[in-house]
Amino acid sequence: MSRRFLAHLGVPRVRESILDGLADVRAHKLRTFLQTLGVILGVASLVAVQGLVDSGRRQATKFFDEFGGLTKILVVNRPSKEILVTAQQLASHGLTWSDAQAIRQEIPNATLVDPIASEELSIRYGDYERRNDVTGATPDYSAVYKFYPAKGRFLIQDDMASQARVCVLGDTAARRYFGNEDPVGRILTIGEVGFRVVGVMNRKEFYFGEGDHNALEWMNEQTFIPLTSLYARFTGDDRKRVQYINVIVDKVENNPKAAAAIRALVRRRHAGITDFEVINRAERLKQRAEQNQVFDTVFLVSGIVSLLVGGIVIMNIMLASFRERIREVGVRKALGASGIDIAMQFLVESILVTVIGGTVGLGLGVVFAQIISSLVGQPAVITPQMAVIGVSASVTVGLVFGLYPAIKASRLNPVEALRYE
Amino acid sequence: MRISRGVVSAVPEDYGPNPAEPIIRLNDVHKVYGSGEDEVRALQGISLTLDPGDYVAIMGPSGSGKSTLMHILGCLDVPTEGEYVLAGTPISQMSARKLARERNKRVGFVFQSFNLLPRANLARNVELPLLYAGVGRAERRERALSALRKVGLGERAKALPSQLSGGQRQRVAIARALVNDPSIVLADEPTGNLDSKTGQEILALFGELHEQGHTVILVTHDPNVASRAGKIIRIVDGKVANGAAS
Repeated sequence: MSRRFLAHLGVPRVRESILDGLADVRAHKLRTFLQTLGVILGVASLVAVQGLVDSGRRQATKFFDEFGGLTKILVVNRPSKEILVTAQQLASHGLTWSDAQAIRQEIPNATLVDPIASEELSIRYGDYERRNDVTGATPDYSAVYKFYPAKGRFLIQDDMASQARVCVLGDTAARRYFGNEDPVGRILTIGEVGFRVVGVMNRKEFYFGEGDHNALEWMNEQTFIPLTSLYARFTGDDRKRVQYINVIVDKVENNPKAAAAIRALVRRRHAGITDFEVINRAERLKQRAEQNQVFDTVFLVSGIVSLLVGGIVIMNIMLASFRERIREVGVRKALGASGIDIAMQFLVESILVTVIGGTVGLGLGVVFAQIISSLVGQPAVITPQMAVIGVSASVTVGLVFGLYPAIKASRLNPVEALRYE
Repeated sequence: MRISRGVVSAVPEDYGPNPAEPIIRLNDVHKVYGSGEDEVRALQGISLTLDPGDYVAIMGPSGSGKSTLMHILGCLDVPTEGEYVLAGTPISQMSARKLARERNKRVGFVFQSFNLLPRANLARNVELPLLYAGVGRAERRERALSALRKVGLGERAKALPSQLSGGQRQRVAIARALVNDPSIVLADEPTGNLDSKTGQEILALFGELHEQGHTVILVTHDPNVASRAGKIIRIVDGKVANGAAS
């Protein structure tokens, strides 16, 4: 914008208008408070919602990140719901190891493929014995879950090839069987077969709120053996069925494409029946956000409604106090103020009032967010976005609802305005 | 080139293209308010000419049209008919925006009730015409202080109007009227709200302005006030009733 155009709009007078507005605010503290109340509450609720929504989204993303992130696609068994079952369909036995191999070979975006099967077995060390799930996993598991050994190593390809009798323990499992002893190199008896412990995993922890339980404790409970060893030594399953297959895709953007390709591939391999489900995690998160949207919308609408009410109150008070300013407008016009100068002055003042309200509302909104988050046990996130939302919402209200009084003032006839008592 | 000078001591430079040209020329000016039965003919063919440096009183009873004449002279309003030329600039057909600019540049107003902004200090009050003229902040402040000094209130620049006496307030208003070097100073009953002693002081100040070369127009119904002026223009029923007009 050129300087002349800005001057035409009365912009160089903005500073003076702000000073005038501040003097007016100081002179009418109660009026200003009443004027800004709606804006304060409106901005506060907008900011609080933004904080909570943001905090929720961050928590979910962070949680998922702990075991695979948003690029993960999960393929799980889901028996066909069709009642009439054809012979072909009977021939399908759910997801198998070879489905996983096929995904690895045929889906170009799949960077990690990790089929998993598990079996409940007795586990014994010394005098201590209990039945527990044993997870048959592949070397990719560690990278898929971003779950790495604290001591020793995770399962490797050689273990798979030789159906080795080796196992890796989660932190809690290791403590349970070995107490304070170092488990690495010791023999754990799993289903009457001796397995050498080759590694202990890092401890995984995630708390959604203070005092909450560890949402990732199930990972610390794990006992891993090579998937091939599980088949060979325990299940004796020739078909090599798996419970689910984790697939990590190279980029989140490729998730939908990869999910569709996996769906088509596995369906083809299962004789055209869908006895499985492909769960795209990014999609999940989006669905969850959509479900939450009802809640968010209610808050958003209530915020907007109170901003509107606040704006109407501001306009109302500006119009009510308009009379006492008519003469002032007349004087300013007599001294050479144009209609645009007057309109700018009124607009700057109404925006000033709403920005004051918005700033107070911002502070209040942060406090609201903290209180609500402590009630639901979720940490509140305070972001620069909140300030942007608070300020832009209040400027908008000031602009929209200041416009009518501003235009009205700008159109006053100087002769009549000067004569006004 | 525009040269910024001391306010009261200086002769306004804006005399128009030719110094011999009158500062004000009204030619058969009519002003009609309303229409049909409600029609009010406030001015009915006023013609007059004022020269630079004139000190003129416009007199007349209420309802005579002297206020309307003042509004037209002050560029607050335009004639329904006729021609008004102020300092070489034809005013008669101007848009509101251009009129505001002319007013800002050429007219300094002094009102009966002072009309200072109550919440602005004296310096900011006096600065207002410069603000609307687009003068920068530092120059505004400097010229406002200089104008306040000329009316003897240089020390009170930070005071609020409510802290001043009536006479002092009117001095501030005069400083404000002069700060932008106007072609004419237009005072509407400037002593109407003052006691007679203070009124005399204010009139003395107008006398000084006249001696310094300013064109001063007093609008008044008070013969004692009018007698200070060099010329008296009597308005009766929207017409000039004496020979002062040319």
